[in-house]
Parts: sequence; structure tokens; C-alpha cells
Amino acid sequence: MTEKDITGIIVTHGQLGEELLRTVGLIIGEVHDCYALSGSDLGDEQVVKSIREIRDRNNAKNIVVFVDYFGGSCGISCVKAARGLEGVKVISGVNLPILLDFVTKQGTMGLDEIVDHLIHRGQESVRVIEL
Amino acid sequence: MVILFRIDDRLIHAQVVVGWGRRLKPDRIVLADDLVNAEDWEKELYASAAEPDFKATVLSLAEAVEQISGGVFSSEKIFLLVRGPAEALEMLEMGLTTNEINVGGLHFREGREKITDNVWVDEGERETLRDIVKKGITLEARTLPGDKRITINSKVV
Repeated sequence: MTEKDITGIIVTHGQLGEELLRTVGLIIGEVHDCYALSGSDLGDEQVVKSIREIRDRNNAKNIVVFVDYFGGSCGISCVKAARGLEGVKVISGVNLPILLDFVTKQGTMGLDEIVDHLIHRGQESVRVIEL
Repeated sequence: MVILFRIDDRLIHAQVVVGWGRRLKPDRIVLADDLVNAEDWEKELYASAAEPDFKATVLSLAEAVEQISGGVFSSEKIFLLVRGPAEALEMLEMGLTTNEINVGGLHFREGREKITDNVWVDEGERETLRDIVKKGITLEARTLPGDKRITINSKVV
């Protein structure tokens, strides 16, 4: 494990996270070190517990938690899970471009750098397509 | 004026802000909760979940009763949120009045039994809801405003 090994955890309403991860797999093949859970099926404490379990099981030093909606229950649970832990960042507004960049650039950047990169990528991916 | 008094163990979240909020358009969401109110970071976290759509205020149960009963929010339409039946009953016993409570979200947890898909209660919570019903209050259990209206008074007595 180096400081550039970063684990991804997607926490969303419904099955959105699982489907995003499955779709990433369709595009790039097998995905490593990225997990998805449905926050809307779990209570606050269970989301916190699941995130900490993934962290412990993988001996993960650096984690990016992706949530779908700022202000949703998943986001709030993830902030509670990440609070007080070193090396955990939470990003809201996850979309496919963000995840594709994350899984293909894992290992090339440190935590702060990849978070900046992913936020920029997500924001610039929302645009009017010129016709 | 309280236009929705809701029990929801997720407190301020997307169903409340987007699902109910954009339909009923309150001026403010008031979260009455002693635990959240005791932690500044948690107060900010839940308040930020309501913004930018709505103003949000986090208060202790006692402060919320005092301010609502005292008319602090009389010129505003308020959503009042609490996390469970015990908090709702405590506010009623401190003098808050209402005809109806929306039991909108008590999610599955070990030891809770199902009343509806989104309302699960343990024995203590069922007794507390029974005490609320005895005060002549209607318990309705819509998760979202467009759901079919279900009254659960008969399921807790």
C-alpha cells in the first residue's frame, strides 16, 4: 500500500451506486478497490459500520467516499462515518465521468490531488453539448 | 405556524427537503433534537442539508416548544421534524399542540416490527405512539406527500 493507493466507496440512494459501478465495469473491465452500497436501505449507524468495515478489511489508508446528493441521508451518514478518520474524503454529486476518472487514475495521485481532479472533472462534465 | 409535524429518524434529508419541501413550500425547517443541538458540527451538517432551498433552525426540544408556542414562527410556514415518538410525546407534554403527526420514517432496525414499509417500531415506541393517540392526535404515515394517506392509529392501540 502506498499513499497513492486509494479505495473508493460509492454510497447512494436506491441501487444507483451498484449500477454506476457495474456501468464503469462495462466500460473499462474489472474494477478493483471500489465498492458500492445503498444508503437508503441502511440506517445511519449501518452506513457508518459498513464504511469502517471496508476500510478495515482492505487496510485502506486513503478513501474517497462518493455520495449522490449533497444533503441526502447517504451524504449525512458518510460525513458521520468519515468524521475523525484520517485519509477519508467525501465527494457529493457523483457521476459516471468522476468514477471513470477515479478508477483509471487510482494510484497516480495522492488523496488531495485526486479529489481536486475528480471535482473538476465532474463539474466540467456537466455542460450543454454544442449542436 | 407548523404545517407539517413529522417523525423521521433520518431528520433533514432528501425526502423532506425535495419530496415534501418542494410540494408544501415551507419558509423554514425546524429540527427539534437534543442530540444534534448539542453538537455544533452536527447542527451545521443538518442545516446545510436544507439549504439552499429552505431556512433551517436546529433547536433543543424545549427551545422548539417555547419558540413555537411563543409565536416566534407565527409569520412563517414551518416543517417541524423530530427523530422519534419519544421526542414527539415529550414536546406534546411540554405544551405543544397539534391535531396530526406525520409518522414518515422509522426505518428497520433490530427489534423493530413493521407497521408500514417505512414505519417500524419497537415495543417502547409503539407504547409511546399509543400515548400520543390517547391525546386525540391522528398519526398518518405517508413517506411522501403524493403517497396514499394511511392512518395508523388503530395499529398502535
